[in-house]
Amino acid sequence: MSMKNLYLPITVDHIARVEGKGGVEIAVDDEGVKEVRLNIIEGPRFFEAITVGKKLDEALAVYPRICSFCSAAHKLTAVEAAENAVGFTPREEIQALRDVLYIGDMLESHALHLYLLVLPDYLGYSGPLHMVDEYKKEIGIALELKNLGSWVMEVLGSRAIHQENAVLGGFGRLPDKSILETMKRRLKGALPKVEYTFELFAKLEQYGEVEGPITHLAVKPRGDVYGIYGDYLKASDGNEFLSEDYREHIKEFVVEHSFAKHSHYHGKPFMVGAISRVVNNAETLYGRAKELYEGHKELLKATNPFANNLAQALELVYFTERAIDLIDKALAKWPVKPRDGVKIRDGFGVSTTEAPRGVLVYALGVRDGKVSYADIITPTAFNLAMMEEHVRMMAEKHYSDDPERLKLLAEMVVRAYDPCISCSVHVARL
Amino acid sequence: MGQNKRIKVGFYALTSCYGCQLQFAMMDELLNALGRLEVKCWYMLDRNSVEDEPVDIALIEGSVSTEEGVELVKKIRKNAKIVVAVGACAVQGGVQSWTDKPLDELWKTVYGDAKVKFQPKMAEPVSKYIKVDYNIYGCPPEKRDFIYALGTLLIGSWPEDIDYPVCVECRLRGYPCVLIEKSEPCLGPLTRAGCDARCPAHGIPCIGCRGAIGYDVAWFDSLARVFKERGLTREEIIERMKIFNAHNPKIEGMVDKIFEVVKE
Repeated sequence: MSMKNLYLPITVDHIARVEGKGGVEIAVDDEGVKEVRLNIIEGPRFFEAITVGKKLDEALAVYPRICSFCSAAHKLTAVEAAENAVGFTPREEIQALRDVLYIGDMLESHALHLYLLVLPDYLGYSGPLHMVDEYKKEIGIALELKNLGSWVMEVLGSRAIHQENAVLGGFGRLPDKSILETMKRRLKGALPKVEYTFELFAKLEQYGEVEGPITHLAVKPRGDVYGIYGDYLKASDGNEFLSEDYREHIKEFVVEHSFAKHSHYHGKPFMVGAISRVVNNAETLYGRAKELYEGHKELLKATNPFANNLAQALELVYFTERAIDLIDKALAKWPVKPRDGVKIRDGFGVSTTEAPRGVLVYALGVRDGKVSYADIITPTAFNLAMMEEHVRMMAEKHYSDDPERLKLLAEMVVRAYDPCISCSVHVARL
Repeated sequence: MGQNKRIKVGFYALTSCYGCQLQFAMMDELLNALGRLEVKCWYMLDRNSVEDEPVDIALIEGSVSTEEGVELVKKIRKNAKIVVAVGACAVQGGVQSWTDKPLDELWKTVYGDAKVKFQPKMAEPVSKYIKVDYNIYGCPPEKRDFIYALGTLLIGSWPEDIDYPVCVECRLRGYPCVLIEKSEPCLGPLTRAGCDARCPAHGIPCIGCRGAIGYDVAWFDSLARVFKERGLTREEIIERMKIFNAHNPKIEGMVDKIFEVVKE
């Protein structure tokens, strides 16, 4: 008589070096991997339910609190959705400066993710604090790039986390022209470092175990210039649709092991993030990033989530150059009035932008100056189903190895997505 | 705490945006302090983290929003000599507390009838469940809040609370008064200082992210009177004051005083 063997699940209770609290559970039986679950245990915060009925400006101040790693993304996307709802369009130079503020978030977030969260795995460290002596140069560049991103957000957003200076109609206050000139100089000075970062991450292994077809979703950039804002979503299957129709294409559902909902695009898991932007919108890149893309296409592939790390490094190069051009655009109109009056009317508006981790959706209704409807879907909520799939692929190749090795590899898959778990549990309406 | 011994610290996360940890991680000064600190637990930056081990100083970010969170703070208290609540969520329950709707209604709005295997709770401050020895305020705290608190503890002294409002810093810097000159609902008069009046400096009214000032000197009633003269309703005033002070027991009673006086 053969007895069925009993196996304990291989679990990581708390995935380190990601934003928020989540775990991985890999259940194994005689036939192999039975089930893989990303347990999202970060507590729910009900942001939509809380803000419905609240004054619009107060709700807008609260939304960035969904996530610190991408608070500027949340603030600016919420503000655009609100402006769309009340029928207001910002001046071009204000939009350019909002883009620069958003890029500050992109630079800080990517630098932090790549150097402090991803790199330690490849160098055999448990965390960046242990690398300080051995990898002075890398830690130095990490701090310089992240400080640059933070400073851009401080100048335009009033601080690096939760930017109160970004408001309906524009900015509370704008910096002096000379500070924007300094910003340009500092961005130019960072170019060798972002390029070094790209070369460094181009050398890192992208694990073949998780190779396979992926459907990518990204915002179609306005004006056909690679960027952050857009009014259409574009899928790698060739489909394009208006942002406000997102609910017709993307369905959310509750799974019992997660405070964050999962999402499917046309019934299947999909991916968003830097690699999805590169896959869908590479033809809109320009400058040095375009050249680097052409030279490394085979590494920036659509079929491996680990390519997301290199895609972020490519974006460090792109957005550093792009910010310089956008500052020039605003300076050409100097002096710029910081803010226009916005008449608060009833209405409904949607904004879709590219947060550091991928597509971010805000849909806001406004009635009598208050939020009457709120739906927010974050990149990590979009990614969870696909992430689980990729962890499963990794587990299927390694379930009989040393469990510690499997745990590390599973965590590395998760980290490649750069998940923002707080974001994912904010949490969306049904 | 002796000068040469490495101080064991842990940075623990409950339910939050991770902004307090991010602020701490973004401090270049942290690298200078590494020689004095032994980081036992900080999942955001280190895989080699252990939650259930003794530490000298425990920093806690986030509100208690799950049953697991209750267990965790109790474990931290048992293991730590000094517990520091960090940021608006840990100290005041955070913006996730800014609601009067009951938990099951919030749950239904978001998850419908679906069930999840973990137990959610209404967000609450850490001090609801354990004794907290010191608070670092802010959403997020300023870098210098961390430097001051940890620096003071590391030299074996005890950090003071800030006991004056944002208005003091704002007046000292000479910014135009957002409340009087722009007639906007600025919470500077009752919010704890320490931010150099960052928002008024940008011409924006304070939303109170550092929380109401302590020692029972947050005059919700006086400010409510000013807001009322500007045309705000009782509900609007209470909601604004509660963005970052949802668990403060004084707000309703003090605001009501102003509205009842008028009724007479």
